[in-house]
Amino acid sequence: MKEVFLLSIRQLTGPVRLGLILLLSALPVGLAAILAVTAGGEGVGRDDFVNAMLSGLLVAGVLPIVVMTLGTAAFGNELEDGTLGNLALMPLARWQIVMPKLLATLTISAPIIIVSGVVTALIGVGFEVRAALSVAVALLLGVAAYSAIFTWTGLMTGRALAVALLYVILWEGVIGSLIEGVGYLSVRGYTLAIMHGLDSSAFEAVGDRVIALPAAVVGALLVTAVFYGLAVWRLTRMDVP
Amino acid sequence: MSASGAVIEVDNVSKWYGDVVAVNGISVEVFPGITGLLGPNGAGKTTLLHLITGLAACSEGSVTVLGEPSRNNPALYRRVGVMTEKEGVYGFLTGRQFLESTAKMHGLSSVAPAVDRALEIVGMADAQSRRLGGYSRGMRQRMRLAAALVHDPKVLVLDEPLSGTDPRQRLEFHAAMIRFAEQGRTVLVSSHILEEVELLADRIVLMVSGKLAAAGDIRAIREKLDEQAYHVRIVTDAPRPLAAALVNLDEVDSVNLGPDSDLVVLSRNVGVLQEAIPRLARELGARLFRVEPQDESLESIFGYVVER
Repeated sequence: MKEVFLLSIRQLTGPVRLGLILLLSALPVGLAAILAVTAGGEGVGRDDFVNAMLSGLLVAGVLPIVVMTLGTAAFGNELEDGTLGNLALMPLARWQIVMPKLLATLTISAPIIIVSGVVTALIGVGFEVRAALSVAVALLLGVAAYSAIFTWTGLMTGRALAVALLYVILWEGVIGSLIEGVGYLSVRGYTLAIMHGLDSSAFEAVGDRVIALPAAVVGALLVTAVFYGLAVWRLTRMDVP
Repeated sequence: MSASGAVIEVDNVSKWYGDVVAVNGISVEVFPGITGLLGPNGAGKTTLLHLITGLAACSEGSVTVLGEPSRNNPALYRRVGVMTEKEGVYGFLTGRQFLESTAKMHGLSSVAPAVDRALEIVGMADAQSRRLGGYSRGMRQRMRLAAALVHDPKVLVLDEPLSGTDPRQRLEFHAAMIRFAEQGRTVLVSSHILEEVELLADRIVLMVSGKLAAAGDIRAIREKLDEQAYHVRIVTDAPRPLAAALVNLDEVDSVNLGPDSDLVVLSRNVGVLQEAIPRLARELGARLFRVEPQDESLESIFGYVVER
């Protein structure tokens, strides 16, 4: 598994992809800093900041886009380059191929997203350890769930990035904000719920539209496990080109 | 290995994608030594190799390699080396890193000696420190072959391994495969070039349009081919003199003059005919507008060969 992991890390950290991800992740930090400086002594309201920067930009935008860029490429690159056969012909159980791919996506995206989220929160919400930890834990579980979903998507279709983008815009974005119950089946909903559940005072702004903390944690873990399982099943059943 | 001694057993295997039948009811056994899988482009060779190596699932029938099913049986790959037709490589790795990575994934305990041995077999020791992305096509093919050999497999399955290689590399490849087979191992190598397979293989499996056209000893099939008569159609501005000259050749069985003054020549030796037609036309001052075989498909040539 270690070799597949190392190979995947190198595959996913091409300079262009890494540069784009870092740039995207720096966006909320930069905007938060600009807001903090330009707002002067009056500051930006905490609720407005949480709604716009953390819920809107970071959790709804940067988090899924960064993870989909990596997750869909974990197998997508192999399929596109014709190297998946190399892996499939190794004496490795299919889960031993999917797991390191998933971990590679997680290993690259989690630190970037978490640093971006924590720094953004520290600037906007204030230097509060609990708030920072809440953001870190919520984003970690969000990254894990999205990694599994997008790793599976990369195995399912040659247009994984487009499909993933549609899913994020339609399901996580439009439908998620229109239909209340979707929070139980939305990674964005889980992430915000965990953030709020761990520090309800700092993230009060999203309190009226999130599910309970235990349900959110179980939901995120369940999505991770189910899509990991689906990816293993897909790799086992598919004809490797 | 089966009771018959076959290392690879393909039993009534079919593979279809929607309405397209890529492999149609093939049964064949592959024994130790070198077997060539031959057929024109699009014959279904790659699909059959994917079924044999377990990369694809059979729609019907079964495949065993070394007595075990090849599909969903990763442990089998410890004893089987495969070089697919896909030429993709991890361009960011050096040749040596690629082989080391492959050897580790195979769970080898002594990686360095295995990598050195594989590099020596394919003659790529000098280029091992260069990135695969900078290799020529032939070099990539050789390094991919080294990866298929690095774990010292008992069975080697190679899909068009010689594409992109130069004549010297082909000779080296032939020598390496012959050495490999002399150790009692099994090589199944695909190609669409008869002459290439003929140089290398003891036996051939011939596929045409997804079906098995012939299988067996390559010399026996060659002999049968030599006995087969071929039809060649000739369009010329001097059909009668050319027909008279051709019919005098020992290798020509008959010459028929068609309604459009085209000639249909029946011969048991196409090689001689290929040389004789332009020579006789030149001697007679005849212009040749068209010379074409009537038995165009490999199937029509090989179809009569007894299946074994």
